[in-house]
Amino acid sequence: MSDPLGKAPIVAPGHTAGSVTDKISSIVFERTPRWWWAAFGASFLLVMMLLHSLTKLLFTGVGIWGINIPVGWGFAIINLVWWIGIGHAGTLISAILLLLRQEWRTSINRFAEAMTLFAVACAGIFPLIHVGRPWLAYWLLPYPNTMELWPQFRSPLIWDVFAISTYATVSALFWYVGLIPDLATLRDRSVQRWKKMLFGAFAMGWRGSAVHWHNYEVAYLMLAALATPLVVSVHSVISFDFAVGQLPGWHATIFPPYFVAGAIFAGFAMVLTLSIPLRRLFRLEDFITLRHIQNMAKVMLATGLIVAYGYMTEIFMAFYSGNQFEEFMILNRIAGPYRLYWWALILTNVLAPQAIWLRKVRTSPALIFLVAMFVNVGMWLERYVIVVTSLSRDFLPSSWGTYSGTYWDWSLFIGTIGLFLALIFLFIRFLPMISIFEMRTILPGAKGNPE
Amino acid sequence: MSQVFAPPPDIDRLRSRAWLAAAVGIAVSAGGFFLDRGQFFRSYLVSWLFWLGIALGCYAVALLHQLSRGAWGLMIRRALGAATRTLPLLLLLFVPIVVGLSEIYVWARPEAVAADEVIQQKSWYLNRNGFLLRAALYFLIWMGPAWLLNRMSLRQDAAADDRTFRRMQGIAAPALGLYCLAATFASVDWLMSLNPHWYSSLWGVNFIGGHAVSAFAFIIPVALFLAGRKPMDEQFQPRHFHDYGKLLLAFVMLWTYFQLSQLIIIWSGNLPEEVTFYLTRTEGGWLWVSILLAVGHFALPFVLLLSRDLKRDARKLAWVAVVLLVMRWVDLYWQAAPAFAHGEGQHGLHLHWLDLSTMVGIGGLWLAVYFGELKKRPLLPAFEPYLREAVADE
Repeated sequence: MSDPLGKAPIVAPGHTAGSVTDKISSIVFERTPRWWWAAFGASFLLVMMLLHSLTKLLFTGVGIWGINIPVGWGFAIINLVWWIGIGHAGTLISAILLLLRQEWRTSINRFAEAMTLFAVACAGIFPLIHVGRPWLAYWLLPYPNTMELWPQFRSPLIWDVFAISTYATVSALFWYVGLIPDLATLRDRSVQRWKKMLFGAFAMGWRGSAVHWHNYEVAYLMLAALATPLVVSVHSVISFDFAVGQLPGWHATIFPPYFVAGAIFAGFAMVLTLSIPLRRLFRLEDFITLRHIQNMAKVMLATGLIVAYGYMTEIFMAFYSGNQFEEFMILNRIAGPYRLYWWALILTNVLAPQAIWLRKVRTSPALIFLVAMFVNVGMWLERYVIVVTSLSRDFLPSSWGTYSGTYWDWSLFIGTIGLFLALIFLFIRFLPMISIFEMRTILPGAKGNPE
Repeated sequence: MSQVFAPPPDIDRLRSRAWLAAAVGIAVSAGGFFLDRGQFFRSYLVSWLFWLGIALGCYAVALLHQLSRGAWGLMIRRALGAATRTLPLLLLLFVPIVVGLSEIYVWARPEAVAADEVIQQKSWYLNRNGFLLRAALYFLIWMGPAWLLNRMSLRQDAAADDRTFRRMQGIAAPALGLYCLAATFASVDWLMSLNPHWYSSLWGVNFIGGHAVSAFAFIIPVALFLAGRKPMDEQFQPRHFHDYGKLLLAFVMLWTYFQLSQLIIIWSGNLPEEVTFYLTRTEGGWLWVSILLAVGHFALPFVLLLSRDLKRDARKLAWVAVVLLVMRWVDLYWQAAPAFAHGEGQHGLHLHWLDLSTMVGIGGLWLAVYFGELKKRPLLPAFEPYLREAVADE
């Protein structure tokens, strides 16, 4: 239906089902662009750095990190929360926006979902290596054994095992099921036999019959309904890791909703970070239009405001509570040894996103990209502030300590960024980064859409 | 579409019934005031918060609609708008709370403050003047944009004007943010400070989530009433009620999520100054109220609202909404009342007839004004740009 206020359409005019299919599948079939080799090469080097650091870690132990007593949770937990949060936008875009019938999700859901998977993969590394003896990590699972070992089910850390593994499974299924019709398209368009075989095997015999489509629609909707609660539950459980403890700065009832909002905030920032350069490099401006970028920027602003509300509530409650430890925690964040992190956090996470209120910023992909970069940094700082300031200054001054990351902390963190980017580059090279068949359904003239 | 959607004349019948209820409720409550002043004010606070929650919820939902558009909101926008115009009445009804401040709040009794070090520490926030000043500010924050939006909405009856539409959207975004801020502090002032030692940073969002449930639980029966009469009978379709059902379900789940998060965190932390909130609410009769809340405010409506057929059947949906409306009162009572008995050695559950009579009195008055406001304007803004889309057949 054409918009009464003349809002821009979600696909640039003049496209047909054929041109959409050509454009998106050509990215997979054409010669690899030179910039791709440079970008992939750079991220691959970072992956090598990650492997080197992991090897060093496994041989030496977590002592190479900056963690100590009292700050036993350092970069590993900060990075885990950061990466898991980033994944949330993919699930929100693909599942919740699908249920809410937001058609603009169609051109961004595929790579947002891929982003979710890769972010969860990066996140998953950290708790495994943080346990110190990753080869015993299966002890976290409840299974009958002769050691009379059983997980402590009252601990949110155990809930995490289930929350994150469920999340990874459902996200992978959702992504793969959504890919099947497009894999069949690629199979049909492949020239070389081995490509036909490979795409054909993963397309699982998709023929596009009415029965196939019917089953597909049912499965996809059900997976969306299953994925929806995960958007809220995973990060709520992550927040419980902190909030059920008694440490000032961790024990706050606002944590679950404010962590979930922060996750969506971070995730949208990352989707923007990826989609703004990619649409330019692959000339996809017709599909990922300014309207998409603006809508995502608005979601980022709204969730950013909820996060800011969380900060404000924490500060207010600390003073309202009349509890000296709570008050000290806030003052320590603002003026203590880690004050630079806190002020940088306010700048990047609270102030920078406010620029989106301005129309001028909202209509410039370059400026939105800049804001998104601020938020990427800000959300990492947020977890740093929560983890480090609270642990380093708890109730007794005699047990205070200081913390800073070592080379290995940074190399592991930057290494996972490399892994994430390398996976993204592989994905856009070998699979359709925009859902071809869903794009066809939102074209004018399709499925009851007026011409 | 230049049709005028005049409200049905039946509204007058509802209105006169509401006036009757108001008269009876106020007369009985006035009697109660002379018999037991303390009880009167405590019952009054919960009843006032209940009706305020509906009005503020309608305001927030109207803002949400203004921002996100959508057919569901356009169909009820005038019904929501009428509720936002009751805010001046609710401000007037705030006066008895000011009068009975020291009867309601421990921190407003100088002798209690003198004996309590914790309250003394909080006196920078919990004091009479601050309380009144803040209340004035909250109402200003809510009534200002509500007044502006109501005025602009009226313009959409007269002529097609896309600028008005855009400007309303522009007001709605900051207004929604300000509403949340004001509601958060209001929840601390009016409810949380009943128990001045206790605090929970989730309290504000929980208050807001409750408003959203109240709004849909109230507006669904109103929509059912309108959908059964001319001129709206031809406009309302099952898909609209389907959407209200989904939104009601979403907000019921959100409320549950907040409640459960707060419970898990406080229960696991087990700090003496916090966990008392749940200890008093799991003792004696209160345990049953807590269970009632878990079943009536979550389990039952959750299971029922999963059904697509139920959501598309306006009459059945309205029954669920009425159950939730009752539960909204139970929730507020559950939050407020255990604190009243604090320090007097009686933590048990003591329902009082004033709880009912103040509900009827304030409710009658509020509904009478509400229906009066609903009657004043056409039920759909004739020149709203998205109207045709909203009433289109499925």
